Amino acid sequence: MGLLTILKKMKQKEREMRLLMLGLDNAGKTTILKKFNGEDVSTISPTLGFNIKTLEHRGFKLNIWDVGGQKSLRSYWRNYFESTDGLVWVVDSADRLRLEDCRQELSSLLQEEMLAGATLLVFANKQDLPGALSKEAIKEALALDQIKSHHWCIIGCSAVTGENLLAGVDWLLEDIAARIFTTD
Amino acid sequence: MDAAAEISQESGFTGESGAARIQERLQKRHQERIDDAERRKEAKESRSVAEEKGDYFFGTFNKERESIEDILSSCSGADRAVLTQKLEEATAKLLQLQKFLSDSTMFLKPYDLRQAQAALQKLQTSLTETREEGLPKKKFAFRTRTKAKDKSSAPEADTSPDAVTPAESGTSEVDGSAASVQCGISNMDNQCLTKTAEEIQKQDVLLSHLTNCKVHLFGAPSTLHLKHIDSCEILCGPVSSSVFIDQCKNSTLAFPCQQLRTHNTTDTQVYLHVTSRAIIEDCRGVSFAPFSWSYPTLEEDFAVSGLDQNLNNWSQVDDFNWLAAGTPSPNWTVIPEGDRRTSWDP
Repeated sequence: MGLLTILKKMKQKEREMRLLMLGLDNAGKTTILKKFNGEDVSTISPTLGFNIKTLEHRGFKLNIWDVGGQKSLRSYWRNYFESTDGLVWVVDSADRLRLEDCRQELSSLLQEEMLAGATLLVFANKQDLPGALSKEAIKEALALDQIKSHHWCIIGCSAVTGENLLAGVDWLLEDIAARIFTTD
Repeated sequence: MDAAAEISQESGFTGESGAARIQERLQKRHQERIDDAERRKEAKESRSVAEEKGDYFFGTFNKERESIEDILSSCSGADRAVLTQKLEEATAKLLQLQKFLSDSTMFLKPYDLRQAQAALQKLQTSLTETREEGLPKKKFAFRTRTKAKDKSSAPEADTSPDAVTPAESGTSEVDGSAASVQCGISNMDNQCLTKTAEEIQKQDVLLSHLTNCKVHLFGAPSTLHLKHIDSCEILCGPVSSSVFIDQCKNSTLAFPCQQLRTHNTTDTQVYLHVTSRAIIEDCRGVSFAPFSWSYPTLEEDFAVSGLDQNLNNWSQVDDFNWLAAGTPSPNWTVIPEGDRRTSWDP
Protein backbone atom coordinates (compact mmCIF):
# COMPACT_ATOMS: atom_id res chain seq x y z
CA MET A 1 0.00 0.00 0.00
CA GLY A 2 1.66 3.17 -1.16
CA LEU A 3 1.44 6.63 0.30
CA LEU A 4 -1.07 7.64 -2.35
CA THR A 5 -3.39 4.85 -1.33
CA ILE A 6 -3.21 5.90 2.29
CA LEU A 7 -3.97 9.48 1.35
CA LYS A 8 -6.89 8.37 -0.77
CA LYS A 9 -8.27 6.35 2.11
CA MET A 10 -7.97 9.31 4.45
CA LYS A 11 -9.79 11.58 2.05
CA GLN A 12 -12.43 8.96 1.51
CA LYS A 13 -13.22 8.87 5.19
CA GLU A 14 -13.80 12.60 5.25
CA ARG A 15 -15.54 12.82 1.86
CA GLU A 16 -14.40 16.39 1.79
CA MET A 17 -13.69 18.48 -1.29
CA ARG A 18 -12.22 21.88 -1.80
CA LEU A 19 -13.63 23.91 -4.69
CA LEU A 20 -12.14 27.19 -5.85
CA MET A 21 -14.37 29.60 -7.71
CA LEU A 22 -12.62 32.13 -9.93
CA GLY A 23 -13.38 34.35 -12.91
CA LEU A 24 -13.28 37.97 -13.99
CA ASP A 25 -15.06 40.56 -11.87
CA ASN A 26 -18.79 40.87 -12.50
CA ALA A 27 -18.98 37.24 -13.70
CA GLY A 28 -21.39 36.24 -10.93
CA LYS A 29 -19.23 34.08 -8.68
CA THR A 30 -20.71 35.25 -5.40
CA THR A 31 -24.23 35.11 -6.83
CA ILE A 32 -23.68 31.48 -7.87
CA LEU A 33 -22.35 30.61 -4.43
CA LYS A 34 -25.23 32.30 -2.60
CA LYS A 35 -27.89 30.97 -4.93
CA PHE A 36 -26.52 27.46 -4.60
CA ASN A 37 -26.66 27.82 -0.85
CA GLY A 38 -30.22 29.18 -1.01
CA GLU A 39 -29.43 32.70 0.14
CA ASP A 40 -30.76 36.07 -1.01
CA VAL A 41 -28.87 37.26 -4.09
CA SER A 42 -30.26 40.80 -4.33
CA THR A 43 -27.93 42.33 -1.73
CA ILE A 44 -24.60 41.10 -3.10
CA SER A 45 -21.79 43.65 -3.29
CA PRO A 46 -18.62 43.36 -5.38
CA THR A 47 -16.33 41.00 -3.46
CA LEU A 48 -13.57 42.83 -1.64
CA GLY A 49 -11.49 39.80 -0.66
CA PHE A 50 -13.13 36.39 -0.55
CA ASN A 51 -16.08 34.37 0.73
CA ILE A 52 -15.92 30.81 1.99
CA LYS A 53 -18.89 28.50 2.42
CA THR A 54 -18.95 24.99 3.77
CA LEU A 55 -21.95 23.01 2.72
CA GLU A 56 -23.13 19.42 2.52
CA HIS A 57 -24.22 18.14 -0.85
CA ARG A 58 -24.83 14.52 -1.90
CA GLY A 59 -22.99 13.25 1.15
CA PHE A 60 -19.93 15.34 0.44
CA LYS A 61 -18.65 18.18 2.50
CA LEU A 62 -17.83 21.02 0.12
CA ASN A 63 -15.54 23.86 1.02
CA ILE A 64 -16.23 26.48 -1.62
CA TRP A 65 -13.89 29.43 -1.90
CA ASP A 66 -15.13 32.43 -3.84
CA VAL A 67 -12.33 34.91 -4.45
CA GLY A 68 -12.90 38.42 -5.83
CA GLY A 69 -12.14 38.83 -9.52
CA GLN A 70 -11.09 42.49 -9.71
CA LYS A 71 -7.84 43.06 -11.51
CA SER A 72 -6.13 44.17 -8.32
CA LEU A 73 -7.15 40.92 -6.58
CA ARG A 74 -6.11 38.47 -9.30
CA SER A 75 -2.50 38.37 -8.15
CA TYR A 76 -3.77 36.96 -4.84
CA TRP A 77 -5.62 34.06 -6.49
CA ARG A 78 -2.54 31.86 -6.14
CA ASN A 79 -2.83 32.03 -2.36
CA TYR A 80 -5.94 29.88 -2.66
CA PHE A 81 -4.63 27.21 -5.05
CA GLU A 82 -3.31 24.73 -2.52
CA SER A 83 -5.11 21.37 -2.36
CA THR A 84 -7.89 22.48 -4.68
CA ASP A 85 -9.88 19.49 -5.98
CA GLY A 86 -12.09 21.41 -8.37
CA LEU A 87 -11.81 24.75 -10.13
CA VAL A 88 -15.03 26.54 -11.05
CA TRP A 89 -14.40 29.17 -13.73
CA VAL A 90 -17.30 31.59 -14.04
CA VAL A 91 -17.84 33.54 -17.26
CA ASP A 92 -20.19 36.46 -17.91
CA SER A 93 -21.62 35.16 -21.20
CA ALA A 94 -22.91 38.60 -22.15
CA ASP A 95 -19.56 40.36 -21.70
CA ARG A 96 -18.20 39.89 -25.21
CA LEU A 97 -15.61 42.63 -24.88
CA ARG A 98 -13.67 40.85 -22.16
CA LEU A 99 -13.80 37.29 -23.48
CA GLU A 100 -10.19 37.53 -24.58
CA ASP A 101 -9.16 38.66 -21.08
CA CYS A 102 -11.17 35.78 -19.77
CA ARG A 103 -9.42 33.28 -22.02
CA GLN A 104 -5.98 34.52 -21.04
CA GLU A 105 -6.66 34.43 -17.32
CA LEU A 106 -8.03 30.90 -17.56
CA SER A 107 -5.18 29.59 -19.65
CA SER A 108 -2.58 31.00 -17.26
CA LEU A 109 -4.44 29.38 -14.36
CA LEU A 110 -4.34 26.01 -16.06
CA GLN A 111 -0.57 26.21 -16.27
CA GLU A 112 -0.30 26.54 -12.50
CA GLU A 113 1.37 23.52 -11.02
CA MET A 114 -0.68 23.68 -7.85
CA LEU A 115 -3.88 23.32 -9.87
CA ALA A 116 -2.53 20.48 -12.01
CA GLY A 117 -4.78 17.81 -10.52
CA ALA A 118 -7.95 19.86 -10.33
CA THR A 119 -11.09 19.23 -12.38
CA LEU A 120 -12.33 22.27 -14.30
CA LEU A 121 -15.98 23.30 -14.49
CA VAL A 122 -16.76 26.33 -16.65
CA PHE A 123 -20.03 28.07 -15.89
CA ALA A 124 -21.24 30.12 -18.87
CA ASN A 125 -23.27 32.33 -16.57
CA LYS A 126 -25.98 34.93 -17.23
CA GLN A 127 -27.80 32.82 -19.79
CA ASP A 128 -30.95 34.65 -18.67
CA LEU A 129 -29.74 37.78 -20.50
CA PRO A 130 -31.02 38.12 -24.07
CA GLY A 131 -27.55 39.06 -25.36
CA ALA A 132 -25.72 36.15 -23.74
CA LEU A 133 -23.52 33.97 -25.93
CA SER A 134 -24.32 30.26 -25.98
CA LYS A 135 -22.10 27.86 -24.13
CA GLU A 136 -20.81 26.61 -27.51
CA ALA A 137 -19.65 30.11 -28.42
CA ILE A 138 -18.01 30.48 -25.00
CA LYS A 139 -16.34 27.11 -25.46
CA GLU A 140 -14.80 28.29 -28.70
CA ALA A 141 -13.88 31.74 -27.40
CA LEU A 142 -12.05 30.22 -24.45
CA ALA A 143 -10.50 27.49 -26.64
CA LEU A 144 -11.62 24.84 -24.18
CA ASP A 145 -11.15 22.07 -26.72
CA GLN A 146 -7.44 22.63 -26.51
CA ILE A 147 -7.33 21.79 -22.82
CA LYS A 148 -5.68 18.41 -22.48
CA SER A 149 -4.26 18.83 -19.00
CA HIS A 150 -7.49 18.81 -17.01
CA HIS A 151 -10.87 17.10 -17.04
CA TRP A 152 -13.26 19.87 -18.02
CA CYS A 153 -16.90 20.57 -18.78
CA ILE A 154 -18.84 23.70 -19.74
CA ILE A 155 -22.39 24.31 -18.57
CA GLY A 156 -24.64 27.22 -19.46
CA CYS A 157 -26.33 28.54 -16.34
CA SER A 158 -28.02 31.49 -14.73
CA ALA A 159 -27.14 32.39 -11.17
CA VAL A 160 -30.18 34.66 -10.96
CA THR A 161 -32.69 31.94 -11.85
CA GLY A 162 -30.59 29.09 -10.49
CA GLU A 163 -30.82 27.24 -13.79
CA ASN A 164 -28.30 24.42 -14.23
CA LEU A 165 -26.26 25.25 -11.14
CA LEU A 166 -27.03 21.81 -9.70
CA ALA A 167 -26.17 20.06 -12.95
CA GLY A 168 -22.78 21.74 -13.00
CA VAL A 169 -21.87 21.04 -9.41
CA ASP A 170 -23.07 17.44 -9.71
CA TRP A 171 -20.84 16.85 -12.70
CA LEU A 172 -17.90 18.36 -10.83
CA LEU A 173 -18.48 16.21 -7.74
CA GLU A 174 -18.80 13.06 -9.79
CA ASP A 175 -15.59 13.72 -11.66
CA ILE A 176 -13.64 14.54 -8.53
CA ALA A 177 -15.08 11.58 -6.65
CA ALA A 178 -14.09 9.19 -9.43
CA ARG A 179 -10.58 10.52 -9.15
CA ILE A 180 -9.88 10.77 -5.45
CA PHE A 181 -12.28 8.40 -3.72
CA THR A 182 -11.72 4.84 -4.83
CA THR A 183 -14.53 2.47 -3.99
CA ASP A 184 -13.78 -0.30 -1.51
CA MET B 1 14.84 -24.20 15.80
CA ASP B 2 12.59 -25.97 18.30
CA ALA B 3 12.58 -29.13 16.30
CA ALA B 4 16.36 -29.09 16.01
CA ALA B 5 16.71 -28.57 19.76
CA GLU B 6 14.31 -31.39 20.48
CA ILE B 7 16.14 -33.73 18.19
CA SER B 8 19.47 -33.11 19.78
CA GLN B 9 17.87 -33.52 23.19
CA GLU B 10 16.18 -36.77 22.37
CA SER B 11 19.14 -38.25 20.64
CA GLY B 12 21.17 -37.25 23.65
CA PHE B 13 18.97 -39.29 25.97
CA THR B 14 17.75 -42.24 23.97
CA GLY B 15 20.48 -42.83 21.44
CA GLU B 16 20.11 -45.21 18.49
CA SER B 17 16.77 -46.74 19.48
CA GLY B 18 14.93 -43.34 19.22
CA ALA B 19 15.88 -42.69 15.59
CA ALA B 20 12.75 -44.32 14.17
CA ARG B 21 10.51 -42.33 16.51
CA ILE B 22 12.17 -39.08 15.55
CA GLN B 23 11.65 -39.92 11.93
CA GLU B 24 8.00 -40.53 12.64
CA ARG B 25 7.56 -37.26 14.54
CA LEU B 26 9.24 -35.26 11.80
CA GLN B 27 6.96 -36.84 9.26
CA LYS B 28 3.94 -35.90 11.34
CA ARG B 29 5.08 -32.29 11.75
CA HIS B 30 5.70 -32.01 8.05
CA GLN B 31 2.20 -33.25 7.31
CA GLU B 32 0.70 -30.77 9.78
CA ARG B 33 2.54 -27.94 8.15
CA ILE B 34 1.26 -28.85 4.70
CA ASP B 35 -2.31 -29.16 5.97
CA ASP B 36 -2.06 -25.82 7.65
CA ALA B 37 -0.81 -24.12 4.51
CA GLU B 38 -3.63 -25.74 2.56
CA ARG B 39 -6.23 -24.46 5.00
CA ARG B 40 -4.85 -20.96 4.89
CA LYS B 41 -4.83 -20.95 1.12
CA GLU B 42 -8.46 -22.03 1.01
CA ALA B 43 -9.48 -19.37 3.49
CA LYS B 44 -7.70 -16.72 1.48
CA GLU B 45 -9.37 -17.80 -1.73
CA SER B 46 -12.80 -17.75 -0.18
CA ARG B 47 -12.18 -14.18 0.98
CA SER B 48 -11.03 -12.69 -2.31
CA VAL B 49 -13.68 -11.66 -4.80
CA ALA B 50 -13.64 -12.69 -8.41
CA GLU B 51 -13.99 -9.09 -9.53
CA GLU B 52 -10.80 -8.14 -7.74
CA LYS B 53 -8.59 -10.34 -9.83
CA GLY B 54 -6.19 -9.10 -12.41
CA ASP B 55 -7.60 -11.59 -14.93
CA TYR B 56 -11.16 -10.45 -14.53
CA PHE B 57 -10.08 -6.83 -14.70
CA PHE B 58 -8.11 -7.29 -17.87
CA GLY B 59 -10.85 -9.36 -19.47
CA THR B 60 -13.41 -6.59 -18.96
CA PHE B 61 -10.96 -3.81 -19.66
CA ASN B 62 -9.87 -5.26 -22.98
CA LYS B 63 -13.42 -5.98 -24.06
CA GLU B 64 -14.41 -2.36 -23.42
CA ARG B 65 -11.28 -1.10 -25.09
CA GLU B 66 -11.96 -3.11 -28.21
CA SER B 67 -15.52 -1.83 -28.38
CA ILE B 68 -14.28 1.77 -28.23
CA GLU B 69 -11.70 1.02 -30.91
CA ASP B 70 -14.46 -0.45 -33.06
CA ILE B 71 -16.53 2.71 -32.70
CA LEU B 72 -13.57 4.87 -33.61
CA SER B 73 -12.62 2.82 -36.64
CA SER B 74 -16.19 2.93 -37.90
CA CYS B 75 -16.06 6.72 -37.78
CA SER B 76 -14.15 7.31 -40.98
CA GLY B 77 -16.46 8.28 -43.79
CA ALA B 78 -19.54 8.67 -41.61
CA ASP B 79 -21.51 11.86 -42.04
CA ARG B 80 -21.48 14.63 -39.47
CA ALA B 81 -24.52 13.76 -37.41
CA VAL B 82 -23.63 10.08 -37.17
CA LEU B 83 -20.05 10.98 -36.41
CA THR B 84 -21.00 13.34 -33.59
CA GLN B 85 -23.16 10.65 -32.08
CA LYS B 86 -20.44 8.03 -32.38
CA LEU B 87 -17.84 10.30 -30.87
CA GLU B 88 -20.13 11.07 -27.99
CA GLU B 89 -20.68 7.40 -27.39
CA ALA B 90 -16.96 6.75 -27.48
CA THR B 91 -16.28 9.61 -25.07
CA ALA B 92 -18.87 8.31 -22.63
CA LYS B 93 -17.47 4.79 -22.81
CA LEU B 94 -13.96 6.05 -22.33
CA LEU B 95 -15.02 7.97 -19.26
CA GLN B 96 -16.66 4.86 -17.87
CA LEU B 97 -13.54 2.87 -18.52
CA GLN B 98 -11.46 5.49 -16.75
CA LYS B 99 -13.76 5.22 -13.75
CA PHE B 100 -13.53 1.43 -13.84
CA LEU B 101 -9.77 1.70 -13.77
CA SER B 102 -9.69 4.18 -10.90
CA ASP B 103 -12.09 1.93 -8.97
CA SER B 104 -9.73 -0.97 -9.52
CA THR B 105 -6.50 0.71 -8.48
CA MET B 106 -6.73 -0.80 -5.00
CA PHE B 107 -6.04 -4.35 -6.12
CA LEU B 108 -4.08 -3.91 -9.33
CA LYS B 109 -0.36 -4.43 -9.44
CA PRO B 110 1.56 -1.24 -10.25
CA TYR B 111 2.74 -2.69 -13.54
CA ASP B 112 -0.79 -3.64 -14.63
CA LEU B 113 -2.05 -0.24 -13.58
CA ARG B 114 0.59 1.49 -15.69
CA GLN B 115 -0.25 -0.71 -18.64
CA ALA B 116 -3.96 0.06 -18.34
CA GLN B 117 -3.30 3.77 -18.02
CA ALA B 118 -1.10 3.73 -21.09
CA ALA B 119 -3.83 1.93 -23.02
CA LEU B 120 -6.38 4.54 -21.92
CA GLN B 121 -4.05 7.35 -22.90
CA LYS B 122 -3.67 5.82 -26.34
CA LEU B 123 -7.42 5.55 -26.72
CA GLN B 124 -7.86 9.16 -25.67
CA THR B 125 -5.34 10.29 -28.25
CA SER B 126 -6.95 8.36 -31.05
CA LEU B 127 -10.36 9.69 -29.99
CA THR B 128 -9.04 13.25 -30.19
CA GLU B 129 -7.47 12.55 -33.55
CA THR B 130 -10.67 11.07 -34.92
CA ARG B 131 -12.60 14.06 -33.67
CA GLU B 132 -10.23 16.57 -35.20
CA GLU B 133 -10.23 14.70 -38.47
CA GLY B 134 -14.01 14.33 -38.66
CA LEU B 135 -15.15 17.54 -37.04
CA PRO B 136 -12.57 20.25 -37.67
CA LYS B 137 -12.85 23.19 -35.30
CA LYS B 138 -14.71 26.21 -36.50
CA LYS B 139 -13.07 29.57 -36.09
CA PHE B 140 -14.83 31.60 -33.44
CA ALA B 141 -16.66 34.64 -34.72
CA PHE B 142 -19.47 36.81 -33.47
CA ARG B 143 -22.58 36.31 -35.52
CA THR B 144 -25.11 38.99 -36.18
CA ARG B 145 -28.40 37.52 -35.26
CA THR B 146 -31.88 38.82 -35.77
CA LYS B 147 -33.30 40.41 -32.71
CA ALA B 148 -35.82 38.30 -30.88
CA LYS B 149 -39.09 40.15 -31.28
CA ASP B 150 -40.96 38.34 -28.59
CA LYS B 151 -39.36 39.85 -25.54
CA SER B 152 -42.14 38.80 -23.23
CA SER B 153 -41.10 35.20 -23.73
CA ALA B 154 -37.69 35.92 -22.25
CA PRO B 155 -37.26 33.80 -19.13
CA GLU B 156 -38.70 35.58 -16.10
CA ALA B 157 -36.14 36.01 -13.39
CA ASP B 158 -37.17 33.70 -10.59
CA THR B 159 -35.76 35.46 -7.61
CA SER B 160 -37.01 33.18 -4.87
CA PRO B 161 -33.79 32.38 -3.05
CA ASP B 162 -34.44 28.71 -2.37
CA ALA B 163 -35.26 27.71 -5.92
CA VAL B 164 -32.27 26.14 -7.57
CA THR B 165 -33.74 24.84 -10.78
CA PRO B 166 -33.08 21.14 -11.21
CA ALA B 167 -30.87 19.86 -13.95
CA GLU B 168 -33.74 18.54 -16.06
CA SER B 169 -34.70 22.03 -17.19
CA GLY B 170 -32.31 21.35 -20.02
CA THR B 171 -29.49 23.08 -21.79
CA SER B 172 -31.29 23.63 -25.08
CA GLU B 173 -33.61 26.17 -23.54
CA VAL B 174 -30.67 28.07 -22.13
CA ASP B 175 -28.91 28.09 -25.46
CA GLY B 176 -32.06 29.11 -27.28
CA SER B 177 -32.28 32.42 -25.50
CA ALA B 178 -28.96 33.48 -27.03
CA ALA B 179 -30.56 33.98 -30.41
CA SER B 180 -30.69 37.75 -30.29
CA VAL B 181 -28.32 40.56 -30.91
CA GLN B 182 -26.86 42.63 -28.10
CA CYS B 183 -28.67 45.86 -27.46
CA GLY B 184 -26.70 49.09 -27.46
CA ILE B 185 -25.04 52.07 -29.11
CA SER B 186 -21.47 52.19 -30.44
CA ASN B 187 -19.07 54.48 -32.30
CA MET B 188 -20.89 57.81 -32.21
CA ASP B 189 -19.65 61.41 -32.01
CA ASN B 190 -21.61 64.56 -31.14
CA GLN B 191 -25.05 62.96 -31.04
CA CYS B 192 -28.16 63.07 -28.92
CA LEU B 193 -29.34 59.48 -28.55
CA THR B 194 -32.44 58.04 -26.95
CA LYS B 195 -33.66 54.52 -26.31
CA THR B 196 -37.16 53.70 -25.17
CA ALA B 197 -38.36 51.23 -22.57
CA GLU B 198 -39.46 48.77 -25.27
CA GLU B 199 -35.93 48.68 -26.66
CA ILE B 200 -34.00 48.14 -23.45
CA GLN B 201 -36.42 46.50 -20.98
CA LYS B 202 -34.71 43.44 -19.46
CA GLN B 203 -31.91 43.71 -22.01
CA ASP B 204 -28.16 43.79 -21.49
CA VAL B 205 -27.19 47.17 -22.87
CA LEU B 206 -23.73 48.11 -24.11
CA LEU B 207 -22.61 51.67 -24.86
CA SER B 208 -19.12 51.89 -26.33
CA HIS B 209 -16.82 54.34 -28.10
CA LEU B 210 -19.00 57.40 -27.61
CA THR B 211 -17.58 60.93 -27.68
CA ASN B 212 -19.45 64.15 -26.91
CA CYS B 213 -22.82 62.40 -26.82
CA LYS B 214 -25.96 62.83 -24.76
CA VAL B 215 -27.62 59.51 -24.14
CA HIS B 216 -31.02 58.98 -22.52
CA LEU B 217 -32.06 55.43 -21.78
CA PHE B 218 -35.65 55.31 -20.56
CA GLY B 219 -36.54 51.92 -19.12
CA ALA B 220 -35.15 49.18 -16.91
CA PRO B 221 -32.34 47.15 -18.51
CA SER B 222 -30.92 43.99 -16.92
CA THR B 223 -27.35 45.22 -16.99
CA LEU B 224 -25.48 48.19 -18.41
CA HIS B 225 -21.92 48.25 -19.75
CA LEU B 226 -20.14 51.51 -20.56
CA LYS B 227 -16.80 51.30 -22.31
CA HIS B 228 -14.56 53.96 -23.92
CA ILE B 229 -16.75 56.92 -23.09
CA ASP B 230 -15.38 60.44 -23.48
CA SER B 231 -17.10 63.71 -22.55
CA CYS B 232 -20.60 62.27 -22.55
CA GLU B 233 -23.73 62.66 -20.50
CA ILE B 234 -25.39 59.30 -19.94
CA LEU B 235 -28.68 58.98 -18.08
CA CYS B 236 -30.33 55.62 -17.58
CA GLY B 237 -33.37 54.16 -15.83
CA PRO B 238 -33.10 51.56 -13.04
CA VAL B 239 -30.67 48.73 -13.86
CA SER B 240 -31.78 45.54 -12.12
CA SER B 241 -28.30 44.07 -11.62
CA SER B 242 -24.87 45.58 -12.22
CA VAL B 243 -23.47 48.56 -14.09
CA PHE B 244 -19.95 48.01 -15.40
CA ILE B 245 -17.86 51.01 -16.45
CA ASP B 246 -14.45 50.83 -18.11
CA GLN B 247 -12.31 53.59 -19.68
CA CYS B 248 -14.56 56.54 -19.14
CA LYS B 249 -13.48 60.18 -18.81
CA ASN B 250 -14.81 63.73 -18.41
CA SER B 251 -18.39 62.50 -18.29
CA THR B 252 -21.54 62.80 -16.26
CA LEU B 253 -23.50 59.66 -15.50
CA ALA B 254 -26.78 59.06 -13.70
CA PHE B 255 -28.57 55.79 -12.97
CA PRO B 256 -30.01 53.57 -10.25
CA CYS B 257 -28.54 50.05 -10.04
CA GLN B 258 -27.93 47.11 -7.74
CA GLN B 259 -24.15 47.34 -7.91
CA LEU B 260 -21.67 49.60 -9.68
CA ARG B 261 -18.20 48.57 -10.82
CA THR B 262 -16.05 51.42 -12.12
CA HIS B 263 -12.68 50.83 -13.78
CA ASN B 264 -9.99 53.06 -15.34
CA THR B 265 -12.21 56.07 -15.11
CA THR B 266 -11.10 59.68 -14.62
CA ASP B 267 -12.80 63.00 -13.91
CA THR B 268 -16.33 61.69 -14.03
CA GLN B 269 -19.39 62.57 -11.99
CA VAL B 270 -21.81 59.83 -11.05
CA TYR B 271 -25.32 60.62 -9.80
CA LEU B 272 -25.99 57.30 -8.27
CA HIS B 273 -28.65 55.19 -6.65
CA VAL B 274 -27.10 51.88 -5.60
CA THR B 275 -28.79 49.29 -3.39
CA SER B 276 -25.71 47.23 -2.55
CA ARG B 277 -22.30 48.77 -3.15
CA ALA B 278 -20.29 50.84 -5.62
CA ILE B 279 -16.62 50.07 -6.20
CA ILE B 280 -13.85 51.83 -8.09
CA GLU B 281 -10.59 50.37 -9.37
CA ASP B 282 -7.77 52.26 -11.09
CA CYS B 283 -9.80 55.47 -11.06
CA ARG B 284 -8.97 59.11 -10.38
CA GLY B 285 -11.17 62.12 -9.82
CA VAL B 286 -14.46 60.27 -9.68
CA SER B 287 -17.14 62.06 -7.71
CA PHE B 288 -20.49 60.87 -6.46
CA ALA B 289 -23.86 62.40 -5.61
CA PRO B 290 -27.32 60.89 -5.09
CA PHE B 291 -29.34 60.09 -8.21
CA SER B 292 -31.54 63.03 -9.09
CA TRP B 293 -32.61 62.57 -12.71
CA SER B 294 -36.28 61.90 -13.20
CA TYR B 295 -38.64 61.08 -16.05
CA PRO B 296 -42.36 60.29 -16.19
CA THR B 297 -42.18 56.47 -15.99
CA LEU B 298 -39.30 56.25 -13.50
CA GLU B 299 -41.50 54.82 -10.73
CA GLU B 300 -42.78 52.02 -12.96
CA ASP B 301 -39.28 51.21 -14.14
CA PHE B 302 -38.14 51.00 -10.52
CA ALA B 303 -40.88 48.44 -9.98
CA VAL B 304 -39.79 46.46 -13.06
CA SER B 305 -36.16 46.46 -11.94
CA GLY B 306 -37.02 45.24 -8.47
CA LEU B 307 -34.68 47.78 -6.88
CA ASP B 308 -35.56 49.26 -3.51
CA GLN B 309 -36.18 52.95 -4.06
CA ASN B 310 -35.64 53.73 -0.40
CA LEU B 311 -32.23 52.10 -0.12
CA ASN B 312 -29.36 54.15 -1.53
CA ASN B 313 -25.72 53.55 -0.60
CA TRP B 314 -24.36 56.09 -3.08
CA SER B 315 -21.77 57.46 -0.66
CA GLN B 316 -20.29 54.09 0.40
CA VAL B 317 -17.69 53.54 -2.28
CA ASP B 318 -15.02 50.81 -2.00
CA ASP B 319 -11.72 51.56 -3.71
CA PHE B 320 -9.78 48.41 -4.62
CA ASN B 321 -6.59 50.45 -4.81
CA TRP B 322 -7.06 51.94 -1.36
CA LEU B 323 -7.43 49.33 1.33
CA ALA B 324 -6.14 51.42 4.25
CA ALA B 325 -8.88 51.59 6.84
CA GLY B 326 -9.49 54.93 8.48
CA THR B 327 -8.04 57.22 5.81
CA PRO B 328 -10.41 57.95 2.92
CA SER B 329 -9.37 57.12 -0.62
CA PRO B 330 -7.96 60.09 -2.58
CA ASN B 331 -9.43 58.67 -5.79
CA TRP B 332 -13.05 59.64 -5.21
CA THR B 333 -15.04 62.40 -3.53
CA VAL B 334 -18.60 63.38 -2.72
CA ILE B 335 -19.87 66.28 -4.83
CA PRO B 336 -20.64 69.16 -2.42
CA GLU B 337 -24.37 69.81 -2.21
CA GLY B 338 -24.09 73.28 -3.71
CA ASP B 339 -22.29 71.95 -6.80
CA ARG B 340 -24.75 69.16 -7.64
CA ARG B 341 -26.79 69.32 -10.78
CA THR B 342 -30.47 69.79 -10.30
CA SER B 343 -31.69 70.32 -13.83
CA TRP B 344 -31.31 67.56 -16.41
CA ASP B 345 -33.24 69.02 -19.31
CA PRO B 346 -31.41 68.86 -22.59
